[in-house]
Amino acid sequence: MDSTTLGRRAKSALALLCLMSLAACSSREVIVEGSFPTPVVDPLPVSVGVLFTKEFREHELVDDATGRGEASWRVSTGLAQVNFWSTLLPAFFQNVVFIENYEDLNTYDVDAVLIPEVTDVQYAIPLYTNVKVYEIWMRYQLSLVEPGQLKDEENQVIVTENAQAFTQWPLTAYGKTPTAFLQSDTDAVNEAAVMALRDAGANFITSFGRVPGVVAWVQKSQEAQ
Amino acid sequence: MRFCVCLIAVTSLLGGCVTANVDEMTFDAPVAGMGEGTIVILGRRHAPDYDTEPDFIDCIGGHVSRGDTGISVIPERQFIDSLYPWFEPRTAPLSIESVDRLMALPSVADKLGELDLQYMIWIDGRTEDTNSSGSMTCGVGPTGAGCFGFGTWGTESEYEATIWNFGDGSEVGRMSAQTSGQSYMPAVVVPIPIIAPVQDTACESLGSQLLQYLSAES
Repeated sequence: MDSTTLGRRAKSALALLCLMSLAACSSREVIVEGSFPTPVVDPLPVSVGVLFTKEFREHELVDDATGRGEASWRVSTGLAQVNFWSTLLPAFFQNVVFIENYEDLNTYDVDAVLIPEVTDVQYAIPLYTNVKVYEIWMRYQLSLVEPGQLKDEENQVIVTENAQAFTQWPLTAYGKTPTAFLQSDTDAVNEAAVMALRDAGANFITSFGRVPGVVAWVQKSQEAQ
Repeated sequence: MRFCVCLIAVTSLLGGCVTANVDEMTFDAPVAGMGEGTIVILGRRHAPDYDTEPDFIDCIGGHVSRGDTGISVIPERQFIDSLYPWFEPRTAPLSIESVDRLMALPSVADKLGELDLQYMIWIDGRTEDTNSSGSMTCGVGPTGAGCFGFGTWGTESEYEATIWNFGDGSEVGRMSAQTSGQSYMPAVVVPIPIIAPVQDTACESLGSQLLQYLSAES
């Protein structure tokens, strides 16, 4: 073996070592994506507007590394949230309109506007817990608002800040996925997030009828029709 | 190099030893087998610290459908998606009586009617490594890379299958399989894994028991 080849190999080994040490303190980014099934439910006979706020559409969890050997995490759930709830809600309510702007509020006659909000997302990976599962917790705040509450007539815009919801309730979701051979941390966190979204849907569907104020609102809407 | 490839090929044919115990308590077995029909095999996923592995469920399903071509096994993911959200970890029925409550929902009853299920089989359990010992050192140098040492670890599988007869609306049996084995990894330049096929043996054992119950061909 000549000295040139030896030098090249040494450089390669050095580059590999540098890459390995960088990987130990790198950042992990997950843009959650998955396909979501349409739920098998008998739709409620109400007409609902759905408003995804900018914060909801762009929701992400950012967790900076605090020690050596840890990685920073950025988990973007916004796109998956919108995809998921856009699949679930039209199956759950008889008529669903996605409210994009002020004109939509005036154009469509809806019984209420549903505003989902992600209030907290937490995650755990085996490195932190010594349990061989990746976990994601999500907490939502869901609000049902009279359409009129969202209108700023003067500026012709939608305003959510001071809107008084006639009913508001928290919703929790949990998803986990076991560690698997040759599965990366980011893939596992994505899978756990998809499971958490599915769980959010299951929780929403099974608990909606027990939310205070919802039964009365559904009856009132049916009478109005 | 050629020597290494041959060595890996030979040792990959070796497997660690596995012991298996199977238990069964069933009744109302179909006398002439279930014949042409549809079943679904589902994993339990509500425990906080483990999930029944999806690939193990696929393995059992494959074993049953290969053993009796008359039995159609609906893939787990397809079944769970087609009945979302009623078979998620949060909502999955824990007893056959809970299925009656699901059937009260017209859309769910229609969907299950379309599938024409004869049996629903739930598998609960997992495979895990129990102990490990030994040490191995690997290094990279200008002339190449290599490892030296010896490692060993134990693996245990424990699974239980619960069979629900959909036609009668009753639980008709439980079966279980416990397997354990020891795997080894000697390394002289190249690590040579000698893996005990613990989970495969559990799949084989439980799959054969299910096939015996469901099929006249076994």
